[in-house]
Amino acid sequence: MEIVLAQIVNGFSLGSIYVLLVTGFNLMLLVARIIQFAYPQFVVLSMYASWAVLESTNNIFLAALAAIISSIILNLLSEPIFRRINNRENVDINASFVASMGLSMIIVEIMSHSINNGFPVSFPDYWGGKNLFSFGYINLGRGEFYALTGGIILVAIFFYLLYHTHYGRVFRAIAESRKTAKQVGLAVLKSSILSYLVAGILGGIIAILFSMLLGSASPWLGESVALKVLAVSITAGLGNLKGGLYVGLSLGILESLAVGFLAGSWANVIAFVLMLIVVLTKPEGLFGAAIE
Amino acid sequence: MKSKEKLLEIDSLYLNYGSIKAVKGISLYLKKNEIVTLVGANGAGKSSLLKGIMNIEKTKGDILFKNNKINNLATEKIVNKGISIIPEGHLIFSSMTVWENLQLGVYQGNKDKDITLEEIYNYFPILEKRKEQKAGTLSGGEQQMLSIGRALLSGPELLLVDEPSLGLAPQIVQDIFTILKKLNKDGFTILLAEQNVKKSLEIADRAYVLKTGEIVREGKANDMLAESNFMDLYLN
Repeated sequence: MEIVLAQIVNGFSLGSIYVLLVTGFNLMLLVARIIQFAYPQFVVLSMYASWAVLESTNNIFLAALAAIISSIILNLLSEPIFRRINNRENVDINASFVASMGLSMIIVEIMSHSINNGFPVSFPDYWGGKNLFSFGYINLGRGEFYALTGGIILVAIFFYLLYHTHYGRVFRAIAESRKTAKQVGLAVLKSSILSYLVAGILGGIIAILFSMLLGSASPWLGESVALKVLAVSITAGLGNLKGGLYVGLSLGILESLAVGFLAGSWANVIAFVLMLIVVLTKPEGLFGAAIE
Repeated sequence: MKSKEKLLEIDSLYLNYGSIKAVKGISLYLKKNEIVTLVGANGAGKSSLLKGIMNIEKTKGDILFKNNKINNLATEKIVNKGISIIPEGHLIFSSMTVWENLQLGVYQGNKDKDITLEEIYNYFPILEKRKEQKAGTLSGGEQQMLSIGRALLSGPELLLVDEPSLGLAPQIVQDIFTILKKLNKDGFTILLAEQNVKKSLEIADRAYVLKTGEIVREGKANDMLAESNFMDLYLN
């Protein structure tokens, strides 16, 4: 029983990271109208940025700042690329998917050749490795605690902004119908660029929390996470923010339980089994797709 | 007394959808406080012209608003200048509440506007009653009122109204036209594109008759209304 509880605690921490990632991914899907497969890669590259700053300065504050700035820059730099693709006539959303896969592969190559000679990097214990609380089998590390609480706070802030501010309402209006938003003269392009900035800030904080939770980063981390984020979004219903919340959290818990009870890396398959079942039985996703 | 100042002037405007020429060299003007209607059969280019003015569709030619060229401005900038469009098909954001839809208008447009949410609720009391409701649950007529309310809240001087009667019951159509007339009395200039020729001529000062993207007649709305063979000559 204690083991199950311990795994559930771990699962909530991992799940809140998935929720944040899928939230950023869905935001870009809804407002910028792109399938941003490279988004988790930007997060991982930003983890590297904070690692590099930690290595050279040992300063936690600067390392956190580095992750956020790096993520904002990466996301904003990708904006003109996707805008160019989206502006072409008769181009559907899959064009952005293919472009972002290409971007993702380039980032993997950069990380596996140019950073730390391609070896995975480890974060120092003071970054997130210390144990905060132990009870029998249940160990709550600082990284897990931060990922969990940070995840909850960030999602709460995000949804508050989305439902209670002008730009949140504009985001939701564009998400519901880009065509109507354009017709009534809402600032679609400006909001789209703003969504890259918001996704950038979110991605930077995810990078901090994720590196605290895992204690390491590797060039291949982003790819496996990106596939899972895509699977979560499809399972929940593409672009469904609330659905992403439930499915992301559930996936974290299921994976953690599987790690405790199944052999090898079976846990990594869960997301895709779920996705396959949902695609076959409920193609719109468990909570319904939210894009036109 | 109606002022003689020209609010909108269009000179030799062209708009194409690929190889289809929807607007072919149209020139027209609107004076302040006028209601001008564009009448014509389906496909005459009325809606295209309104979309062209808002730069929702690209055009060639000159569009002057208060003597300033607005051709290449982004749609939201045109809204800031003081033109709002009420698009065809009562377009609203159905997953958002009535209040949220109206708020989209509040934050749009001219910053010095003096129109308030209370005034919109005075024009359309039903919207206040339904303010917490999802806009998608409103009736067609209520959605049209919401669409007008949102456009008004961006503080326009000129309202472009595209087929407001489309898909609405006759009594609701009458209500919408009464409101348009009231808005005009309260100082709004209106350019109306409408297939319901009789209704639109009844409330308009002047009219332009469009046929396959060109103006084939212009004049006072009353004169056209008085001609018994007007419909046969221009609209069939």
